[in-house]
Amino acid sequence: MTYFDEVAETRSRADLDAMQLERLGLMLPHAYEHSPIVRATWEEAGVHPRDIRSLADFTERAPFIDKETLRHWREDRRDPYAGLLCVPVDDVTTILSSSGTTGEPTLQPQDWGASGGPVRAGLSRDLWMMGMRPGDRVMVVIFTFRGPAFGMVQQFGAVPVLCDYDAGDMIRFCELSLEFRPTGLYSLSSMIVHAIAEACEQGGFDPTDVFSSYRAMVQAGEPLGARARGIVDGWGVPLFEHTGVGDVGTAFECPEHDGLHFWEDDTLVENLDPEGTEPVGDRERGELVATALVNRTTPLIRYRSGDIVRLTRVPCPCGRTHSKLWPVGRKGDGVEIQGRKILPIDVWPAIESVDECSRGLFQIVREAPQMDRLRLRVGYGPGCADRLGAVRDDVMAAVADLLDAVPEVELVPDADLLKLGPPHKIPRVAPR
Amino acid sequence: MTATVEDTRPLWGIAQYEDGTRRVPWPVSHAEIERAMGGAVSTLAGLGVTAGERVLWCTLLSEAAHFWPLLIGSMLGGAQFSLADATAPDALRVGMFVRQLEYRAVIGVNEAVLDGFDELERSYRDVFGAVSIVGARPGAYERLTAVGLTPYWFVLCGPAVAMATLPGGPARVDPNEWALTELDGRIHVTSTQPRETAFDNTPTAIRGSLVDETSFYPETGAHS
Repeated sequence: MTYFDEVAETRSRADLDAMQLERLGLMLPHAYEHSPIVRATWEEAGVHPRDIRSLADFTERAPFIDKETLRHWREDRRDPYAGLLCVPVDDVTTILSSSGTTGEPTLQPQDWGASGGPVRAGLSRDLWMMGMRPGDRVMVVIFTFRGPAFGMVQQFGAVPVLCDYDAGDMIRFCELSLEFRPTGLYSLSSMIVHAIAEACEQGGFDPTDVFSSYRAMVQAGEPLGARARGIVDGWGVPLFEHTGVGDVGTAFECPEHDGLHFWEDDTLVENLDPEGTEPVGDRERGELVATALVNRTTPLIRYRSGDIVRLTRVPCPCGRTHSKLWPVGRKGDGVEIQGRKILPIDVWPAIESVDECSRGLFQIVREAPQMDRLRLRVGYGPGCADRLGAVRDDVMAAVADLLDAVPEVELVPDADLLKLGPPHKIPRVAPR
Repeated sequence: MTATVEDTRPLWGIAQYEDGTRRVPWPVSHAEIERAMGGAVSTLAGLGVTAGERVLWCTLLSEAAHFWPLLIGSMLGGAQFSLADATAPDALRVGMFVRQLEYRAVIGVNEAVLDGFDELERSYRDVFGAVSIVGARPGAYERLTAVGLTPYWFVLCGPAVAMATLPGGPARVDPNEWALTELDGRIHVTSTQPRETAFDNTPTAIRGSLVDETSFYPETGAHS
């Protein structure tokens, strides 16, 4: 069987549109009635949910909300839920929080009583899509603060093998893999990939043995650099990329490995000009704008995520009709050096090409949106503190070779950079 | 005659516990977790956590079989719960939660979290001063006590969870599930109900002195 839920995963575009419109018709009055920030935003725009009779009405008339709007609401009105809470406070069962990569974590209230629990139904489709099956064992390596990720494995009918997201403890990952022979792994990041490789070396594990039972591995957080990707390729297990969709939904790669599907019966996504309101073309870079169709506790409506993606609505060769996206970066993540826009993804290959900096931990130091010279803060691994001058020269040369611009480089221990982020990623652009 | 219905569900999961020498993989059934949820409701009621109050749990994924029943137990009792990792970097998250919202209890605080506050240069009194119940693990308990706070013992005692219901009082396991013994100063556990993994005088990482068959005082300053 190709699909977990063939009907849901292969709906025609017309059916998807009709379903989205129907769900919007329920969601918009609910959000307008109960969410103070949605109400205020729509009133200020002079739009009412009854004005929205088609998806075209929605994309032409509905006002946007962005992270800054939420932050202002949270701070100015001392509302920890940023005006988004649409259910009585007493109905909230769980208050989780965002990863906090770019600032202090924000609160995410949830109502597990009404929603039946913490796990989205679509996640079972994702696990199936990647080749996992009920009855399998799935290694879950993740932090806990976002909620019980292992619940998606249990809901699917598989057994989670639980391993701490601790780069210093990946020998245990190897031992658990060999003892329980999982078929799936959720989730890898650059940091964990390097840590597993080091654990195999230190513990005398043959990666071929460790990974022999796996059929699929999920990578979450920021994209893997080429060096980490090379390590994973050596393990011989298909890697599936996974990302969040504007704090509203999630997206996973399918076996085609050409874009990440998100479920359009759960989330309505637009891809718009980052500086305007018009949609960009198919597969062109734009800003992801997301609207919740199912989450009635804190629904984000036309949320400008700041995530830069490419997106296509062309049905996938895998047979799934739901749109796909490709993460590109964050709006504002770049810096303009002498008129040329440089993103972290442009610098990455040069950094990790230097052995001492192979984990690819670095930040663009941005003192202003436009600068004369690229400034980088670059992490180095243990054992090279006595030759930092040479390491700095190597990094400068590698970046100059790739970008034709010589950067200023500040070297710091990897551990210092890891402290800056949630465990699976770090802020890639930082003030001085 | 009582019929026995076999639980055909797959395992709830494979978690881990510490036995004093290593962390041991621990297969757990759904039935065990469901029974533990009932015990958790009683434990939280015993602590005085009531509907509408909030509990913040500091935990690690490998400890999910210990904590999941407690989280759901909070919810079943009408309390709201939050989660932070019991790691030094996530001290920031613990601090964020208790600053933004009122928590009746923060439970599972360990030395790593306190190390994180040290790095942030946040005093423990500043962070936890307004929290009525701070459930602290061995090591963290002593550090909180040293600055004048009055934590409650919270102990992962092998596969069992032991918690005090009074500050300074002994940590107690669910009497319907576990029995404790002490051998050479180390606490051992025996399971008294059917489990996927049976425990029979199994050593734990915890040193302490028994009060009775289900409660004990951890030995301060010696917790491995």
